[in-house]
Amino acid sequence: MSVTARTLGGALIAIVGAGGASDDAAACAAAAIDGRRPQWVVRPRTLDELARVVAIAHDEGLAVVPRGAGHALALGSPPACVDVVLDLCGLDAIVEYNPDDLTVTVQAGVTAGALAAVLHDRRQTLPLDPPGWGSRTLGGIAATAAGGPLRLRYGTMRDLLLGVRFVQADGVVTWGGARVVKSVTGYDVPKLLVGALGTLGILGELTLRLHPLPEAEATCLLPLRSTEIAQDVVARLVDSPLQPSRCELLDAAALAACGLPAAAVGLVVSLGSVEGAVRAQQAMVVAEATRVRARAETMGPGFWRTYDRVLAESGPTVLRLATLATRLAATLDEVRASLGGDAGVTITGCAPLGLLRVALRQDEPAVLAKAIERLRAFVDESDGSVVVERGSTALRTSLDPWGPVPAGPLALMRALKQEFDPRGTLNPGRFVGGL
Amino acid sequence: MSLTPRFVDEMRTIVGKDAVVVSVEGRMTYECDMHTFYKGAPDVVVLPTRTEQVRAIVQACRRANTPIVPRGSGTGLIGGAMAPQGGVMVSMNRMASILEIDYGNRCATVQPGLINLWLTNAVRERGWFFAPDPSSQMVSSIGGNVSTNAGGPHCLKYGITTNHVLGLELVTGRGEVVRVGGKTLDRPGYDLTGVAVGSEGTFALVTAITVRLTHAPEAVKTVLAAFRTVIEASQVVSAAIAAGMTPAAMEMLDEAIIRAINAGTGAGYPEGAGAVLLIELDGPRAEVEVQGERAAAICREHGALSVSVARDEAERALLWKGRKEAAGAVGRLTASYLLQDAVVPRSKLPHIMREIVAIGERYGLLIANVFHAGDGNLHPMICYDDTRPDELEKAKEANEELLRACIALGGSVTGEHGMGMDKAKNLPLQYADADLNFMFRIRGVFDPARLMNPGKLLPTHPACGEGFRPQRPRLPEGTWV
Repeated sequence: MSVTARTLGGALIAIVGAGGASDDAAACAAAAIDGRRPQWVVRPRTLDELARVVAIAHDEGLAVVPRGAGHALALGSPPACVDVVLDLCGLDAIVEYNPDDLTVTVQAGVTAGALAAVLHDRRQTLPLDPPGWGSRTLGGIAATAAGGPLRLRYGTMRDLLLGVRFVQADGVVTWGGARVVKSVTGYDVPKLLVGALGTLGILGELTLRLHPLPEAEATCLLPLRSTEIAQDVVARLVDSPLQPSRCELLDAAALAACGLPAAAVGLVVSLGSVEGAVRAQQAMVVAEATRVRARAETMGPGFWRTYDRVLAESGPTVLRLATLATRLAATLDEVRASLGGDAGVTITGCAPLGLLRVALRQDEPAVLAKAIERLRAFVDESDGSVVVERGSTALRTSLDPWGPVPAGPLALMRALKQEFDPRGTLNPGRFVGGL
Repeated sequence: MSLTPRFVDEMRTIVGKDAVVVSVEGRMTYECDMHTFYKGAPDVVVLPTRTEQVRAIVQACRRANTPIVPRGSGTGLIGGAMAPQGGVMVSMNRMASILEIDYGNRCATVQPGLINLWLTNAVRERGWFFAPDPSSQMVSSIGGNVSTNAGGPHCLKYGITTNHVLGLELVTGRGEVVRVGGKTLDRPGYDLTGVAVGSEGTFALVTAITVRLTHAPEAVKTVLAAFRTVIEASQVVSAAIAAGMTPAAMEMLDEAIIRAINAGTGAGYPEGAGAVLLIELDGPRAEVEVQGERAAAICREHGALSVSVARDEAERALLWKGRKEAAGAVGRLTASYLLQDAVVPRSKLPHIMREIVAIGERYGLLIANVFHAGDGNLHPMICYDDTRPDELEKAKEANEELLRACIALGGSVTGEHGMGMDKAKNLPLQYADADLNFMFRIRGVFDPARLMNPGKLLPTHPACGEGFRPQRPRLPEGTWV
């Protein structure tokens, strides 16, 4: 049955129902992004509704900003334009769970916590644990390529996303990838959408690879005297047959925030396997601690929940640094030198992968911008990057939160955006290079 | 098409006289990959040694509007590294060096022509390896592996090529050198590395690759179980996955293959076995011990005729011997066969194996199976007699029917071999017009002139592929302001 609508609002309501679209001042104010209020907040309940809303916005020349649980709204540049905020939390169905295949298909608004609860009954897991993961939507985790400690063993969304259904700028529903764990049919479209912040297409449905939950797990803390020792221990753990699930570095402030004993720096290593293998590997980690005259401490099972909470609550400014594992100590020194020695800095990160997360209580844009530029110059020597993962609107206006992208790749990225979203319908202005 | 003498001279200027092949005999060597069905010799073959030369070649080809086809070792199985429209073939055989090994950061940078196994050989003593292990790894090039996003038995645990590529140096169809990704992770921007892996040279040539190195596991255990039927063996695969096991590899051989292998050098598989399942576990020693016992137990519960566990490296090699010889042994069954690479959800293996038997019977053709059971990646070999008229046609029909059956189960056209000329036409089986249109447009961004490896991966379409018409969603009628 066709629906007739004479206004944009009428059309949106015709698609999502009166409860699904609002131009109410309070609702629009609450949905503002970097102070920019949308004209409409729309909450589709199905992929078809999502597609139709995007198609209308496209035809009307409106900018659409997708959002999930709202964890990453302070990532990226302030949007160039916000007309419609698309609240994707209504797409919350687990479409198909195939435990015998270790795959699941979910709508983008399903939270990682809701999925974990379902998977837990079958002792399976989607091993993605970016800070605050329990309440984050899987679409959001995919769009921001957010990772956590478990990426050391399992990789990121890039490695776990098998297939994706998305809505292009003109509303065309498109599928890329496969529903099976192995496929090289056609181009690897899912890769292009992970971490693209919805700027090439809005994620509607994800097919994901799952893993079995380890039967046993142990976590131990290695309190260390210096970052040089930490780097050395990380190098030895990496160059060994150990298969840690996580290996996080915590500076003194992070140790304190997690309620752990004081030390210059700590490494928290977790091992997951069958009981005997966990014990044997733990003994190897303890031996490594002994070698550097440190005493390893066994941590309770609740540690990773505490760690997740500490990371999720940190801020107001968070930087994401990518460097090389072999430059960890030097990078930590540089972070402290750039941001000043005051107690406002908390550093954590996946040490073997050369990734650091710097949380700052500081949010003075001028001070931060200068420090970030200095850090960028430093990590540039190893082709690294410093991204503002969370920061005030003022900070993200005063500098490019993504940092520079080399001209060659940037030209291709621009060409992709131009090809797939020439009108700038999808999340305009927030991604690298103002895309 | 044929190229002008002036163009050939230009190639000689770029790469040197001894790096240009124009003789008919010389070019014939390059007319096909291992899928010998598809033949097409290039007009000229060039063998560059540096990225700068590759860029100059691409730019010259753009000026002359000439197709460009990359080639590594030519061991692909899809009609990929061959030149159906002639043009210039860029052989990467002389760009085959290891540029850097960086153990501290777990990576290496290599040139595309480097043989896959040579990288593992170079790092093995220090306890590392390069995880993607296509059966061709002794001869296939890493550039070729990147191009097809190659897999292998152990990608069940370790993932396929794309999971091990950190960065690429590309010469795009625009004739520009672009470095994407690299040793540090999480670079801001679109994942161009991710979309370039598996693109089969259809939008860029790869001139350098940064790959992740993997530390060798503490222990490896191999279990071999024989079953009465391939259906029984298939049920073990799902049971093992459901039991929370993560084997490094799970390979299946069916009755026809067992017969062929036993007739040759003989891997000593039990006579009368209808299927052999090879399960390999690797990781921490204690884990491997426990999982090995569980794997053996699951096999016995599912009616295994025999279960052997390798006690040492020599016994392990013996258990793998038959699997490694399988492709060669097929020659004892048939002179000609069509090889498939479709994937089904692994829980559907018993179902599809029944289907394969039924299709074989319906067409009166032997279909032999040796495949990566753990991830549901089938390799049915549809045997036919090419001296008999119609038999090839029958085999093609059976192939098509089988492919459709796999897709109907939620599967995929190809798990690790890639598309090439052979499967390009099958792409629409798995994707709708909107999906195909999206892929064509990706290609257009990297290679606006559409000169890169034409006729591969993407199906040809009356309107050059752009004719796929995506469906827009239905909108409320009326006008609004």
